[in-house]
Amino acid sequence: MRLSFIAPRPKPFLSLFSKMWVVFIGLMSLFMIIFNFYIVIEMSSFKHGVVDLTKEREMLEVKIDEDDEAIGLILRQKAISEEIFSNNTLLKESMKNLFDLVPDQITLKKVQMERNSLILYGISPTQDTFNFLLAAPLKSIFHTSNTTFYLTKEGWYNFVSINKIIGEDGIRE
Amino acid sequence: MNSFDRSLDKIDIMKLLIFLMVFIIITFMFVFLLIIPNVKEHRVLQAEYKRVLVHKTRVENLFLEREAELSKLKAENVHIIGAFKHPFTQEEFLRYAGKFFNQVSLMEVTKSDYKKEFVEYELNVTSTLKTPSNFYNFLEGLNRYSSIVQADFPINLESNKESISSTFKIKVYDLNATTR
Repeated sequence: MRLSFIAPRPKPFLSLFSKMWVVFIGLMSLFMIIFNFYIVIEMSSFKHGVVDLTKEREMLEVKIDEDDEAIGLILRQKAISEEIFSNNTLLKESMKNLFDLVPDQITLKKVQMERNSLILYGISPTQDTFNFLLAAPLKSIFHTSNTTFYLTKEGWYNFVSINKIIGEDGIRE
Repeated sequence: MNSFDRSLDKIDIMKLLIFLMVFIIITFMFVFLLIIPNVKEHRVLQAEYKRVLVHKTRVENLFLEREAELSKLKAENVHIIGAFKHPFTQEEFLRYAGKFFNQVSLMEVTKSDYKKEFVEYELNVTSTLKTPSNFYNFLEGLNRYSSIVQADFPINLESNKESISSTFKIKVYDLNATTR
């Protein structure tokens, strides 16, 4: 016997109210999980970043060392070459000075230049010509200056003049 | 929607409270067990990352400075660097010296290490020349020669009938094998 005019309907397991709460809680949890996931991803990117940056920094430090080495080498090369170039120029100047020093009356036969000494062989018309024109300037340059004369058949004088600088500098007038 | 569901019309206070409790508990659990510790770690890592980044930037600036300095030095000393790298050959030197002297011969005397990364060769040069000015020009050109060469004492000049014969020493500087 039917007591109701309407057909029975199955009662939903969760009411609309409960469903809304479940969905709400579910959404909130999802949001939390997504937020957490985002943080975790960012943390791992920081970790990777730290490792990468450290590697890059170490590489740069090695390169800086290499650059320092290269700069040092260039500076040493520069120092040596400047010294050599100035030595060459000084040598040229001192040879030029020497030949300018020799007056026309005197003929040089042989010149021996050492770091600290200069030996000149030559012919002079008289001893005085040599003494006045060449010995005087030589004496002002060198610490000791000794000259020996030999009379030639023609009546001129062969001379050997040995000049020395006492010290380290050498002939760098 | 089911029109027979009247759960929204007549809200059950107890149910509401229970759901609210559940909601709050779950939220707090998420926040305290997951989010806060992770955020703390995140902050530490972020600080660490920034520190490393600053350090790296400083080193990078230093590196750029060094690079600039190096390239400037290289540009300023092109000739010198090239000359040290250029291998010294007797033939080339004889060709150069031939411009100033009539007869030139070279004899290698010694080869020794010089100041860490260099090699010093000593050679004796015997030559004949017409006037001393050839010798000056030779010395002047030596500074522009493709290797680093120094003319050195002892220098002997002897005049013959027509020419002057000279012997002198040259020192050649090269980079040694390890630096090259």
